[in-house]
Amino acid sequence: MIASEWLKLRSVSSTRYAIGAAALVIVLGAVWSFYVGTLADARGSIRAAAPEEGFLPLVQISLALVGVLAVTAEYGTGTIRPSLTAVPRRRALLAAKATVVAAATTLPALAVIFITHAVSHLIAGDRAVGYNAGSFGDDLPLLLGSVLSVTVLALVGLGLGVVTRSTAAAVGSVVGLLFVLPGIAPYLPQPWNVRVGAWMLPNLVPQIAGERISTRLDGLLPPAAAVAVLAGYALVALVAAFLVFERRDA
Amino acid sequence: MCGAPAFPDREGVIEVKQLTKRYGRARAVDDLSFTVQPGHVTGFLGPNGAGKSTTMRLILGLDTPTSGEALVNGRRYATLGRPLHEVGALLDANALHPTRSAYNHLLWMARSNGIDPVRVAEVLEQVGLAGVARKKAGGFSLGMKQRLGIAAALLGDPGVLLFDEPVNGLDPDGVRWIRDLMRSLAAEGRTVLLSSHLMSEMALTADRIVIVGRGRLIVETSVKDLTERYDSLESAYLALTAGSVEYGAAR
Ligand SMILES: Nc1ncnc2c1ncn2[C@@H]1O[C@H](COP(=O)(O)OP(=O)(O)O)[C@@H](O)[C@H]1O
Ligand SMILES: [Mg+2]
Repeated sequence: MIASEWLKLRSVSSTRYAIGAAALVIVLGAVWSFYVGTLADARGSIRAAAPEEGFLPLVQISLALVGVLAVTAEYGTGTIRPSLTAVPRRRALLAAKATVVAAATTLPALAVIFITHAVSHLIAGDRAVGYNAGSFGDDLPLLLGSVLSVTVLALVGLGLGVVTRSTAAAVGSVVGLLFVLPGIAPYLPQPWNVRVGAWMLPNLVPQIAGERISTRLDGLLPPAAAVAVLAGYALVALVAAFLVFERRDA
Repeated sequence: MCGAPAFPDREGVIEVKQLTKRYGRARAVDDLSFTVQPGHVTGFLGPNGAGKSTTMRLILGLDTPTSGEALVNGRRYATLGRPLHEVGALLDANALHPTRSAYNHLLWMARSNGIDPVRVAEVLEQVGLAGVARKKAGGFSLGMKQRLGIAAALLGDPGVLLFDEPVNGLDPDGVRWIRDLMRSLAAEGRTVLLSSHLMSEMALTADRIVIVGRGRLIVETSVKDLTERYDSLESAYLALTAGSVEYGAAR
């Protein structure tokens, strides 16, 4: 059944385009690194952001789309009926989909994020550009946290896709979680702006690495708690999906 | 068709028992009971909106009945382990991903039910799509999509087959091909349930008939019986469904 879901995912062109869009970050990261390299040549040293962190939202959105389309394309085209006719055990079908989506987004995310990191360091060379101040070991928690955030977003996308059955609604919800809610949180009254802000999806990645959320905002959550909250997003979306998928008419 | 059947006497039998399905307040299927036996093409007839497609979705476990049940081979569809070996269905020929090839469409199905990939090539050959197997389904004509849907239904070599309006939109050659296929599948001892709202086509294909109107059973009989009682199957159908409409309107 895993093999069947894997074939479904890789046999449609949208999956290839989405992974291609995520891989574009490697190119963007290289361009960024050349640019900050020339700035560093001119000024001696600068503090530039790491491209795999700056362009992370592009990886997150592209690969969340893989999760969304894994199910909304089935509702959109009507293939959900042949799917459930072939595999009437709905929980097993959804579990297979979730497994395949997790694998098909984690591996590209891992590759894109680590390659972007490596390329940006190669291009920077021994110039002090900011993002190459720490060792690879220092950067590792942030890199792994970034990869995990992509997996989580893809599973959230899958879960929201099952619940809404609509590509637009599910993508809209993912965008809301990633950009809109974190943008609103700072405007809440004290101390809720910080407390709620700490739980916002994009803010969890720096907290996993024990870093500040922003130049003004310290993280509240210890790294292990940030990992748990991040995983919690996927869990909540998937539980909702299982509950709905189990009983709904197809 | 795989291992010892759990209910030997119900092998190949579709049993619809007091089946009711409400969507909101509308009763799409209303206390419907009938039985489909192997070795025949059973025509499932009724005007548009009579509840034929809903009944088929209920048989396949896609929708949950409000009350009653539908059994295939003596079991609820949802309890079948690898259902494509027992039941094949074509509900909607357009239910295809436009960028997936015909071959991959059948291959994911085969993998989900442990069917040898060799079967994919076989059924593609059988329905005449071998030449376009690697082409994306989005570019197919309706007739090609119907053939692909039939290939999918035949994939697991099932004993029970359900087809929902498979000749809609086909050219005369396609209609003829489907008619011959249905008859040969039944002649092999399989159960064939074939829905249509076209009586004239059914007269040439089916030997047993189940007519529904407004979700209710109107008649369950043989084509022979109907043609003996009425001038033609067509007038039988019109007379019987007219009665159901009156009955429904008076309710
Ligand atoms: N998912 C659904 N939600 C609401 N009403 C439905 C649904 N499916 C079917 N119906 C209604 O149930 C009735 C029977 O429809 P259907 O089974 O498609 O009939 P047929 O296939 O005989 O034309 C129709 O009135 C239709 O509008
Ligand atoms: Mg119908």
